[in-house]
Amino acid sequence: MIRQDLIVERGVSAGDEWVTVESGSIRDALAELKNEGFRLLVFLTCVDHLVDGSRTWPARFELVYQLRNMETREELRVRTFVDGDPPHVDSVHDMFPPANWDERETYDLFGVVFNDHPDLTRILMPDDWVGHPLRRDYPVGGEVVEFSEEHERWQTAPDRA
Amino acid sequence: MATSTEGMSITRTGETGAFGGELLTVNFGPHHPSTHGVLRLIVDLDGEQIRSIKPVIGYLHTGIEKQAEALRWQQAVVVTDRHDYLSPPINNLAYALAVEKLMGVEVPPRAQALRVIMSELTRISSHLVWLGTSGIELGAMSILMYCFRERDTVLAMNEEISGFRMHTSYIRPGGVMADATPRFLEMLDRFTREMPLHIDEYEELLTMNPIWRARTIGIGRLSPEDARVLGASGPMIRGSGIPWDLRKTRPYSGYESYDFEVATSDACDCYGRYLIRIKEMREAVKILRQALDRLPDGPVNVDDRKMLPPPREELETSMEAVIHHFKLFTEGYSVPPGDVYVAVESGRGENGCYVVSDGTHKPRRVKFRSASFVNLQALERMALNHMIADMVAIIGTADTVLGDVDR
Repeated sequence: MIRQDLIVERGVSAGDEWVTVESGSIRDALAELKNEGFRLLVFLTCVDHLVDGSRTWPARFELVYQLRNMETREELRVRTFVDGDPPHVDSVHDMFPPANWDERETYDLFGVVFNDHPDLTRILMPDDWVGHPLRRDYPVGGEVVEFSEEHERWQTAPDRA
Repeated sequence: MATSTEGMSITRTGETGAFGGELLTVNFGPHHPSTHGVLRLIVDLDGEQIRSIKPVIGYLHTGIEKQAEALRWQQAVVVTDRHDYLSPPINNLAYALAVEKLMGVEVPPRAQALRVIMSELTRISSHLVWLGTSGIELGAMSILMYCFRERDTVLAMNEEISGFRMHTSYIRPGGVMADATPRFLEMLDRFTREMPLHIDEYEELLTMNPIWRARTIGIGRLSPEDARVLGASGPMIRGSGIPWDLRKTRPYSGYESYDFEVATSDACDCYGRYLIRIKEMREAVKILRQALDRLPDGPVNVDDRKMLPPPREELETSMEAVIHHFKLFTEGYSVPPGDVYVAVESGRGENGCYVVSDGTHKPRRVKFRSASFVNLQALERMALNHMIADMVAIIGTADTVLGDVDR
């Protein structure tokens, strides 16, 4: 288990073990867990807690790292909370190679900036997209449908010329 | 200077490669028949050898995770069908298990057996599409016809049990959509008896075929260490000799009670991954046979009026049933706050679903951890220093579904 002073909170949710760490020490915590055998990062994602009344959250964005030890078959979820516009957190792509694309995806859809990521560009949305679609204040629908007449007008609008 | 044909364009870099020729940057796709959908690859070539390869994805991004947040818990099942469009029931299963785990609900034994049956049928049909299309890419034309013949049988069974051929939405939180019909069980019985013979047919066409072997043996090597580090799953990690199968390592839906083997291969190449998928089809038939022989009787849904609508007959006699019905179809049910991650083994590997609930009638966040997205990152490691023609075989055996990559 990781050093006690790194852990802010720990618990079990529906049978899944989790720990919360400070966003500044996420690299230290994950490095320790990796040394202990949690060598696989199953996924990395973000949850936007904007207007979530189920409890009080330390910050708006929660980053979730699901780790697995393939020898003992244990899993552990590491959480960290970040705020700010844009929120910043250190990249872990060098420790866990699958994090490379996961971090790009999280940046693309939530606008979380991963410091020292080698290629932090949009991965799913088009390169010229404005906004981060999975944020809770980003509406569903309303975008211009590509290749429609409206899209053509929008593309040839004078302010885009 | 750039030249281009449909789906491919070439840029000269001016640098000199190891063979004295010029390094070329080739843009491959996104609309190219061998990329399994809309995958774009930017490849640096030295002669015919691949020096670097950069996948560009997102052409099939449909915002499924965003849509799931806007739907009620029971409605979000229909979007799960559509990310890995070759294995909808397995996607349903991951989501259903996650919601049930959050609610603390256990489905009845008959529903579990039907879930296993649908998962294994899906695994077979997904492997059949892979085998047929990979065959075509490497010049074996007739295999597609054989594979799609049996896939059609599976789709007809999907239609019989759920009314829909592809996006079945059959497995739902709380159970399954409907009980299996007697005709479905008959079809399944015939399928389990005929399918092993059909698999022999595919093997006759390919396993000892000199062209197939020349195109796949020694191609696309992925060492066990790389497979582990890159997070590969499914036939990709088992093809590197690591017996990791979620049905065995983290059993769900009663898989621990079935007798089957995990297919592995130490070959670490495209041919090894081919043999694994063939073996998995045979094992899937074995599981189907066992599930059919000991299919338990009983209900196929949990008996919980707060989660699933009451039977039609009750609506005429019980006021309470009418209220439950009204509440479920206007507001839906709420899931206790918390988060959970459930992973199931699809034809492509670990198909996970991470669900966060804030206690309301809609999910706060639904994240699909797709096997294709992670496996595609291993492409560069596998394809480096191979010929460009081998890249087609490597993309083929990685078996990525672009809908699953982009979600």
